[in-house]
Amino acid sequence: MESFLIYHFIHVNFWTAAQVVLLGFVGGILSGFIGSGGAFFMTPGMMNLGVPGVVAVASNIAHKFGKAMMGSKKHGELGNVDRRLGGFLVFTSFVGIQIAVWITGFLFKGGGGGSHGEGGGGAAADLYISLVFICILSLVAVSMLRDALRTRPENGDTGPSRRIAACLSRLHLPPYIYFPVADVRISLWILMLVGLATGYLAGTIGVGGFIGVPAMIYVFGLPTAVAAGTELYLAMFMGAFGAINYAWLGYVDIRLTMLMYLGSLFGVYIGAYGTKVVKEVVIRLVTGAIILLCVVSRAVAVPIYLRQLGLIAMNPGWDVYFNQASKLMLFVAGLSGAGLILFNVIRAYREKGRVRTTLIEAAAP
Amino acid sequence: MQLICVSRGTLAGGKELAARLCENLGYRCLCREELTEAATNEGIQVGRLEAAMLKPGEFTSRLSLEREHYLAFTTDFLCRRALEGDVVYHGRQGHLVLPGVGNVLRVRVVADREYRIRAAVHQLGVSRDKARRYVEDVDEDRRRWARAMYGVLWEDVAHYDLVLNLERMSPVNAAAAVTSTAQLPDFQMTPASRKALQDLGLASRARVLLARDDQTSCARFKTTCTDGVVTVTYLPEDARLASQIPRVVGELEGMRDLRATMASTNVVWIQETFDPAAQVFGEVVEVAAKWDAAVALLRFAPEEEAETTEGPVEAEVVASDHECNGGVEDDMDESAASDNEGLEQTVDALARLGRTGGGRSVRGGPERLLEALHHCSPCTMVVVGDVFLSKGHAARTRMARDLRALLADHVKAPVVLAEELRTQYLFGKSDALRLVGLLALTCVLYALVMTHQVAVLKFLTGHDWKGRLLSSVSVFLFVPVVAHLYGTVARTFLKLLRME
Repeated sequence: MESFLIYHFIHVNFWTAAQVVLLGFVGGILSGFIGSGGAFFMTPGMMNLGVPGVVAVASNIAHKFGKAMMGSKKHGELGNVDRRLGGFLVFTSFVGIQIAVWITGFLFKGGGGGSHGEGGGGAAADLYISLVFICILSLVAVSMLRDALRTRPENGDTGPSRRIAACLSRLHLPPYIYFPVADVRISLWILMLVGLATGYLAGTIGVGGFIGVPAMIYVFGLPTAVAAGTELYLAMFMGAFGAINYAWLGYVDIRLTMLMYLGSLFGVYIGAYGTKVVKEVVIRLVTGAIILLCVVSRAVAVPIYLRQLGLIAMNPGWDVYFNQASKLMLFVAGLSGAGLILFNVIRAYREKGRVRTTLIEAAAP
Repeated sequence: MQLICVSRGTLAGGKELAARLCENLGYRCLCREELTEAATNEGIQVGRLEAAMLKPGEFTSRLSLEREHYLAFTTDFLCRRALEGDVVYHGRQGHLVLPGVGNVLRVRVVADREYRIRAAVHQLGVSRDKARRYVEDVDEDRRRWARAMYGVLWEDVAHYDLVLNLERMSPVNAAAAVTSTAQLPDFQMTPASRKALQDLGLASRARVLLARDDQTSCARFKTTCTDGVVTVTYLPEDARLASQIPRVVGELEGMRDLRATMASTNVVWIQETFDPAAQVFGEVVEVAAKWDAAVALLRFAPEEEAETTEGPVEAEVVASDHECNGGVEDDMDESAASDNEGLEQTVDALARLGRTGGGRSVRGGPERLLEALHHCSPCTMVVVGDVFLSKGHAARTRMARDLRALLADHVKAPVVLAEELRTQYLFGKSDALRLVGLLALTCVLYALVMTHQVAVLKFLTGHDWKGRLLSSVSVFLFVPVVAHLYGTVARTFLKLLRME
C-alpha cells in the first residue's frame, strides 16, 4: 500500500479505521441523543487524525446525506416532516452550500503549508473551518447551558423560549407563507435567510442542524419534533447537494464515510433511546458541556494553523503536542458524554426488565 | 336529557342564539366563562394555560399537566351537567370535550367578516382598523386553542351538525331552526349515549382526583373507562405511585372495578372480534412489552349498509338506524353480545399481563372510528386487525387496506395491518434471513473498497470533467446504498436485541 495515496487523502490502516469507527459511534450516540449534529464531534475528530479539514467536511457531508435519508424516512412515518417548509428552505440552503464550498475550496487550493496530520492540504482552509466552528458552536453551547441552568425544578422542564419568534412576528415582512403541518406563518424573507445560514454552515462545518433546528424552534415557533423531522428532510437534500459538489472537486473520501457509518448507524439508535430515559434538563446540560469541550479542543489546534500560515512564530516541534492535546480533549469530551448516555441507557434497560418482572409476578394469581 | 353545544365565532351572535335557545326549550344555559370560573376555583391556572396554549413554544411539563387537569375537569363538569338535565353550552368547542357521545347537537354560528367587524366597531367603540385586527386576533387564538387542545381545525365543518350564518338569518329564526333540529330522534339521549357519557365522566373524574391528590398530582396518568371499569395508565418512572392509585380513586362513585397499567405509550388495536387465544394477541402483547406500551382495544363494528343494500333508499334507512343509536356503543349490540365479541375477555387477559389500556366499542363508519381514535391518543402505533368480517376475503382485504390508508392520513403514528406486525416489528425468520443477506452484501462492499483503496481514491479524484462527473454521480448513488444496506442491518440487529 502506498503510504501517501492521493495528495489530500490519508492512509487508512486498521488503527486509523478503528478510530474513525469510534468517532462515528460516539458521533452517532450524540446525534441520536441531541436530535441533530454529531458532525461537531466527527469533523474535528477526523482533522485530529490528520484528515485535511475540507476532506473531513466533505466526507462528513456525504455521511450526513445517507444518515438523514434514513432518519427523515422514519420521521416522515411519524408525521413530523413539513415537506412544504423543507421545500422552501432547500433552495436557499443550496445557495448557502455553494458559497461554503466555493470559499473552502478556494482557501484549500490557496494552500498555506501542510496540515498537522499526515495528509496534505491548506492550513488557511483548516483555520477558516476551525474559526467558524468555534464561533458558532460556542454560541450554541453557551445558550444551551444557560437554558439548562435557568430551569427551575418547580416549573418542571421548560420548553424553548418564543421570545425571538414573538419579536419577529411583530415585524411586517410580506409575503407570508402558511405551513399547515407545523401550523405556522413565516415571512419568505426570514425563510430565505435561515435557509442560507443553514446551508452555509452545513457546507462549511457539516453541522447545519445546529442552526436549522434552533432556528425552526426559536425563530419559526415550530414544535420540537417537527423541527427535528423537517431539518432531517432538509439535511437529506443539503447532504446530497454538498456531497455532489465536494465530490466534483474530488474531496470526498468514501472510505471515511463508510467507516463512520459502521459506528454511527448503531450509535444513533442508542442515543435516541437515551432521550427516553434521561431528563430534558440533563440532556441540555450534557450536550452543552460536550459541545463546549469540542470547541475548546478545536481552539487548542488553532495555533498550529496560525504557525503554518506564518502568522505566529512557534516551534514546529510543538505541533504534535497541540495536536495530541486537542485530540485527547475531543475524545475525552465525546467518550465521557457517550459513556454517560450509555450508562443511563443500560441502567434504564435493566430497570425496565426488573419492574416488568415485578408487575407480572404481582398480577399472577 | 340533551346537550346542545354552540361554537361561536368572535361577535358572530352565538351568545344571543344560545340565550334564545334556552328560552325556547327551557334548558339550562352554560357558558365558557362559568366553566372557566369553576376551573379556576378548582385551582387550575386557566389564564396561564391559555397564554401557553396560544404560544405552544412556552409550554412546560407543569403546564402540560395543568392542561390534562383542565381537560379532565371540563369533561367531568360537562358530563355532570348533561346527566343532571338538558343543557345549552356556548363557548369554545364544547362538543370536542365529549368525544364519542352520540346525542350532542353541535352547532356552529358564523357570520361574514365585514358583519363582525361592523359589530366590533359598534360594540367596542373602536376604529375600523382596530376592530378588524381584534376580530382576526381572537379568531386566530380560537383556532390555535382548538388545535393545541384537541388537535382539530376549528373551521372544519365536519365537526358540526349544523352551521348557521347569522348575517342572513335573524337570531329568532336561527333559534327556531336549532330547536326543530334538536327535536330529531338523532339527538335524543339513548341508553348507549348515556352509558358513554357516564363512562367518560368516570374516567375524567378519576383523572381529576389524581390531579387533586398531593402525592399523585405531579405524575402523568391517563384514565379510560369501559362499562364502569376504570383503567389508569402510568409511566414507568411513576411506578412508585402505583400503590397510591387505589387509595385516591378507589372510592369513586359508580366505578365497578379499577385497573392500573404501567406504560409509556399506547398501542391501539382495532378489530371486529377479539380472542385472547389468537396468535395476533401474542404478537400485539410482544410489541407492547418491547415498547413499554399499554394496549387499548377498539372494537370496530362497521355499518351494515354496504352489504345489505343495492339502492340508495335502503342505505339511507340503515344509516338512519345507526345514527339514532348515537353512533357509539349500539344498544342492540350491547345487549345481544354478552361479552362484546371477546372485548372484555381480552381486556382481562391484558390486565393479567399488566398491559391493558382499556377497551371500547365503536359502531359506524370510519369517521366514528377516527373520532374514537382521537379519544385514545396519543398512541405510538395503530394495529388494524380483522375487520369487515361479513365480507368476502378479497373485499375484506381491500377494505382493511383502505381503512389503514385513511387512518394513516389522520393519525400521527404508524398504522399497520395485524399480518404485517410480525414482519415489521418482531424478529422473525425473514428478519434473520435479511440480516444475514444484507450483512454479507455489506461485508462484500466494504471489503471491495478497503482492498482497492488506491483505485477507489484515484477514481474519486477524476482530473477531467468526465471523470469528475462520474465520481460525483457515483458518490450520489453509492452513499445512500451503503446507508440503506448497513442501516437495515443495524436496525434489524437492534430489533433482535429488542432495543429499537
